[in-house]
Amino acid sequence: MSFVEFQGVSKSFGDTIAVEKLNIAIEKGEFFSLLGPSGCGKSTTLRMLAGFLPPSTGRISVHGRDITRLPPEARGIGIVFQNYAIFPHMNVFDNIAFGLVERGEQKTEIARKVDAALEQVGLSGYGGRFERELSGGQKQRVALARVLVIEPEILLLDEPLSALDKKMREEMKFWIKDIQNSIGITTIYVTHDQSEALTMSDRIAVMSNGRLLQVGSPREIYEQPSSRFIAEFIGESNLLDVRVTSVNGVSCEVDLGGSLTVPARCSKQVKLSPDERVSLLLRPEMLRLAPMDAQEAPRLKGRIADSVYQGALRRYRVIAGEHDFVVEVPNRPELAQLSSGDQVDVFWSTESGVVVP
Amino acid sequence: MERKIPLPLLVLAVLGFAYMLLPILIVVLAGLTSGEFLTFPPEGLSLRWVIAFLQSEKYLSAFFFSFRLALMTMVVSTILGTAAALFLSRSRFVGRGAMRAFFLSPVVLPGVVVGFALYAFYISAGMGISRTIWGLWIGHILYSTPYVIGTVGAALATYDVSLEEAARSLGASPWRAFRKVTLPNIAQGIQAGSIFAFIVSFGQFEVSLFLSAPNSEPLPIAMYNSLRYKFDPSAAAAGIFAITLVTASVLLTNRLVNIRRLLDRQ
Ligand SMILES: Nc1ncnc2c1ncn2[C@@H]1O[C@H](COP(=O)(O)OP(=O)(O)OP(=O)(O)O)[C@@H](O)[C@H]1O
Ligand SMILES: [Mg+2]
Repeated sequence: MSFVEFQGVSKSFGDTIAVEKLNIAIEKGEFFSLLGPSGCGKSTTLRMLAGFLPPSTGRISVHGRDITRLPPEARGIGIVFQNYAIFPHMNVFDNIAFGLVERGEQKTEIARKVDAALEQVGLSGYGGRFERELSGGQKQRVALARVLVIEPEILLLDEPLSALDKKMREEMKFWIKDIQNSIGITTIYVTHDQSEALTMSDRIAVMSNGRLLQVGSPREIYEQPSSRFIAEFIGESNLLDVRVTSVNGVSCEVDLGGSLTVPARCSKQVKLSPDERVSLLLRPEMLRLAPMDAQEAPRLKGRIADSVYQGALRRYRVIAGEHDFVVEVPNRPELAQLSSGDQVDVFWSTESGVVVP
Repeated sequence: MERKIPLPLLVLAVLGFAYMLLPILIVVLAGLTSGEFLTFPPEGLSLRWVIAFLQSEKYLSAFFFSFRLALMTMVVSTILGTAAALFLSRSRFVGRGAMRAFFLSPVVLPGVVVGFALYAFYISAGMGISRTIWGLWIGHILYSTPYVIGTVGAALATYDVSLEEAARSLGASPWRAFRKVTLPNIAQGIQAGSIFAFIVSFGQFEVSLFLSAPNSEPLPIAMYNSLRYKFDPSAAAAGIFAITLVTASVLLTNRLVNIRRLLDRQ
């Protein structure tokens, strides 16, 4: 049995179904992300776990104990909101002390714990400040300290970085991950930003329209997405329309059209049959370009349609017959600079082509 | 940096202020007349009628009756109005809009209609509270509560519910979360609403006209009654006291709110 379990959980608001028949199992100590586009039901899922929304149907359990009908204050789950929800009428000290006061702890004990929490989040000496006197990043630290000080079993974070600027976001990403690592708290992290999910998570659950599409490690999600939707949502992708010609375990062959058949990987979960129409996923960084007539397969002959300099990378659009590719090539001096109209070969190693149903 | 106000706007604003303040000025000056009758401009200035007001059993008791009634009304309206505003902002159901309109209807209905309706109801229901302070109290509560619903509703509209949720998940019961987090954050709205309720009740005329008893009249009714028989400047003097009380209560509450703010900062 897993630590946190959603069993057939659905939630509808009138006619809108926000979450549908959700089954998720989260292990203790895991950093688990809920990833999906806006409105897919991530916050609803989190709010049901926190106890703010009763599920329409289904069951949520922690440690095997059914908590579906438990009020939020009895759950021992800490939540950090997107807007931080710092109490504006209390200073930072009282904000962080709030949960301890509610638990009836001793005054001296509270002071000690709050000071330790402030220190942990790098805000020693900020106890007397009010919300309006804090920057976005500082508010976030206070919100996290306020939750961590009551030592919850589970930490919920609802898009905690979306209100910060890009630089701050990068910094806080690693900071949150560090804190999570050091105390080993089970964390559920909601985001619509795939790069956050990829860098921070142990596992990611991808949602769309209230449904769970795929659960897996960042690497599985990125390298073996279970659908075109996920492939397109996570990172950049070239998806070619192909036809399966033969299947052999996790390897298969696909027909790219123009009498070109190439080997590709396919995942064990997906049952493919010959002649099936599928997509071949090729990530832009997996592709390489070479002037015509080098000897490496698989390859397609094409023409550069567009070339954009992006600092570390150069991004090409290549048209090869009926297919259209985005290719990213590191900017190294020994690699030839290609320009629009140049004839090129596009090739990739066999393992980097993945079949997506 | 000095902010430039366009001249036409400035003129309009000054005219607006004059329009609002002039009647008050006239009442105050008329109450300070040394003549025998209520005239404007006053025939010389004196405290004659102010003293007459302070010595008039009838006016003083009306003044304190109104004061007491306004306080009683304020207390009940504040509680009822806050509860109603919370209900309206927190629950989602069909007909919520209609319910809000219904709650606010005493403000839009003519006071004469509300007063008469209540009077007819008391009589026909045989409750024995027509023309007693209790019947009057109910009428004033009905009339003042929408103002509280309005101001508290406005405060709740800008209040972020996730504050209360944060409090809950930190271990606070629904009541504790409300008292320690929601209430302090909507306190300004409640305070403003209660001042409104007090002032509206203190100045209420039409509802009182139907519901007050002859021997215990609120101040506006007493002023009206005395002016019906004699154009008596002591009515204007009573007006001075009413204006002073209302202004003082607004200033005082403003002050209290600011002091609270200052204390918070410590
Ligand atoms: N209280 C509510 N009443 C009615 N519909 C709601 C309510 N809360 C959420 N919804 C609907 O449920 C769906 C899922 O909402 P949810 O807030 O869970 O999305 P989300 O994945 O968190 O999106 P975002 O990334 O924009 O925060 C949306 O279609 C939303 O309109
Ligand atoms: Mg959300």
